[in-house]
Amino acid sequence: MRFWGVRLASIAGGIGLAVLIHWIALSQLSAFGVRLVVLAGLYVTLAVSLNLINGITGQFSIGHAAFYQVGAYAAGLFTVKVFSSQPLTFMLWVPVAMIVGAVVASAAGLLVGLPSLRLRGDYLAIVTLGFGEIIRILSQNLKVVGAASGMAIEPKMLSQSPMVWLCWLLAIGSIALCRNLLQTAHGLSFLAVREDEIASSAMGINVTRTKVAAFVLGSALAGAAGGFYAHYEGFLIPTQFGMEVSFIILTMVVLGGSGSITGSVIAAVALSALPELLRNIKTIPLATVIGLTIGVIAAVSLGRRWSEQLHGPVRDRVLKLSGLTGLCLGGGYLLGLGLRALPALSEATTDGNRIRMVIFAGTLVLLMLVRPQGVLGHREFGLGKWLREPAR
Amino acid sequence: MIDVTSLLVAGIEFGSLPQQLLNGILIGGVYALIALGYTMVYGVLRLINFAHGEVYMLGAYTALFVSWIIYGRAQDPVTVVWYALPLMLLSAMTVCALIGIVLERFAYRPMRNQPRIASLITAIGLSLLLQYGGQLFLPVSPAPNISGKVNPYRDNLTFYLTQPAPSLVRAADALKPEMDKAKAALDEQLKLEKDEFNLSDTGLALRKEFFERQSAYNKAQGEAQSSAISITLPKGQLIMFTVTLILMAILRHIVLFTKSGRAMRAVSHDFDSAALMGINVNKIVTLTFVLGSALAGAGAMMSATFISGVKIDTFFGLLPGVKAFVAAVLGGIGNIPGAVLGGILMGVAESLVVWAGYDQYKDAVAFLILIVVLLFKPSGLLGSNKVEKV
Repeated sequence: MRFWGVRLASIAGGIGLAVLIHWIALSQLSAFGVRLVVLAGLYVTLAVSLNLINGITGQFSIGHAAFYQVGAYAAGLFTVKVFSSQPLTFMLWVPVAMIVGAVVASAAGLLVGLPSLRLRGDYLAIVTLGFGEIIRILSQNLKVVGAASGMAIEPKMLSQSPMVWLCWLLAIGSIALCRNLLQTAHGLSFLAVREDEIASSAMGINVTRTKVAAFVLGSALAGAAGGFYAHYEGFLIPTQFGMEVSFIILTMVVLGGSGSITGSVIAAVALSALPELLRNIKTIPLATVIGLTIGVIAAVSLGRRWSEQLHGPVRDRVLKLSGLTGLCLGGGYLLGLGLRALPALSEATTDGNRIRMVIFAGTLVLLMLVRPQGVLGHREFGLGKWLREPAR
Repeated sequence: MIDVTSLLVAGIEFGSLPQQLLNGILIGGVYALIALGYTMVYGVLRLINFAHGEVYMLGAYTALFVSWIIYGRAQDPVTVVWYALPLMLLSAMTVCALIGIVLERFAYRPMRNQPRIASLITAIGLSLLLQYGGQLFLPVSPAPNISGKVNPYRDNLTFYLTQPAPSLVRAADALKPEMDKAKAALDEQLKLEKDEFNLSDTGLALRKEFFERQSAYNKAQGEAQSSAISITLPKGQLIMFTVTLILMAILRHIVLFTKSGRAMRAVSHDFDSAALMGINVNKIVTLTFVLGSALAGAGAMMSATFISGVKIDTFFGLLPGVKAFVAAVLGGIGNIPGAVLGGILMGVAESLVVWAGYDQYKDAVAFLILIVVLLFKPSGLLGSNKVEKV
């Protein structure tokens, strides 16, 4: 009784949360805000599914956008070919199309995962990178998906009332799936493979099968997200899914902490808004960029050296290090102002669109130097502490 | 009933096969140069240096800037100076070596005691940082290129493997007297004409006849030429391949016959034991990066200078880098002769795809090869199978 009660309540809670987000987004936010909410939901799904591969199972995939793209194109093509000759309404149809996207993407995941996951981690990185490239070349050349000029998905969601709830239901579903998976024996074998492949194979875990299962599951979730994106956007062109998207997802996972689901969710929500917001910033003086870069480098190199010598309570150390960071960044900004006096730099500007990938890449490198395990590391945080029944 | 063989060979001309094979070997030399850098770093540090392609890109930019310094940005050199090409090569190699040192010292060395995935992420982050950060500072639009005019050896060498079909040659030769006659008649008429640009009716008719005969002759001549199997070899690419071979020979000498080379092989064999034997491991790792990056710089300078129509942007190193990595895996990663073999095979495979008429899929074939290699022989063609131990 209690078993089912908890489960039904969680499911109802998940659906309720998705509906709540839908209601708030559509009633309170502008069209741009709604778009940000939808993209955040998609990126949460993508980051959590990549976290399943990279963080929880300890593999290293850097071409996640390819599976997103495969799902989007498969679902879109399915809708274009089949929708007019079947009885379902559009609202019921989109989940079906998303399932199609998920199935095709997981098949692609199997195709890519089987050869590369038999081997050590490094190969998966380059194979997924290559798979992304193959998918890009195929989608730019195949006539059936519109080649480089793109494919229109008809029907698509109305732009004034997109199905935000579906997107967030998928996101919440992925979170629940990963979280619950880790409570089962299968999930524990994922963690065991991450910690030590040789030891876990000695314990009787089929390492290759575990890795492939995680990879296929992650690809399927990305494919489902792609299926939603196809019907949300209504138009697919190959450039929407470039390598940039893969690296944005990777940054989210790494920043949040590989292996921490909550970390991925927070990082995904925060970082998914960043490119869209930066797009609106039109002119940034190049001198400021240079100055701040120097400031960041100074903060990292001094902080790394200094933090080894610092002792005392955690709070003092954190305060000292943040003071140092603030000083370095302020100094960098002032340096930028000074650099503007140089004739070569006084007029040079750049725009937000061009520096966003620099920010993502810089985040990756700096994070590895400062805190390689990510902000949250392997930790989770949730309501568990308060909801768990007291020990008897 | 469909004739399968005619479908398979549709659009394929066997006469152009030797030419494409040669193109493949020449471009494969460049892949081999880049692959050497990947394979050496992997051998010593067990790290895929994703930023290697970007070192290559920066090498091409260095060569571009040096050519701008020597000839000016207009790149319309009146006099070609003899020291331009060697200077471009040496400066590209030097700058790349310095970048390699900086990357190793400030990005990879702090990562050495972290889990391997941390250094992989650093490598990818660096690669992205150089690609996108470079766009802020380097000239990218319009994409610059090194003018072909800096290369004094622009002409082609043509070798005939078979002679043109005699009947076609005879047919073409038979047309020549008539063309000459028409030309003579036209010249006669032109002497009589007052205004060369405003011919009388006779002049117009004669000129028309001459043009017709000339185009008929040219067409017959072209047919005769294409009936022969020939190889066209741009002299620039011949220089490129020669320099590649020389650099590889130097590398071989360093690795096999010098003290540092022996130390490098020792470190590659067992990092920790080599350190215990008194080898300065940091120095050897730096040396590895210097050698690999310098080779990449040489490859970048040569492919940007000697291959016509190459545009440079900050993504210049992305595809060559990934292909060279595949070449290194194909030959057996960590294995130096394997990288050369893999590079050449990769170039040949690519040009065979072009030859078969699928040039838009040229860049995809590398990854297909990679997947096949990983499926059937993950240790590569020349690599040895190592069992991982606890």
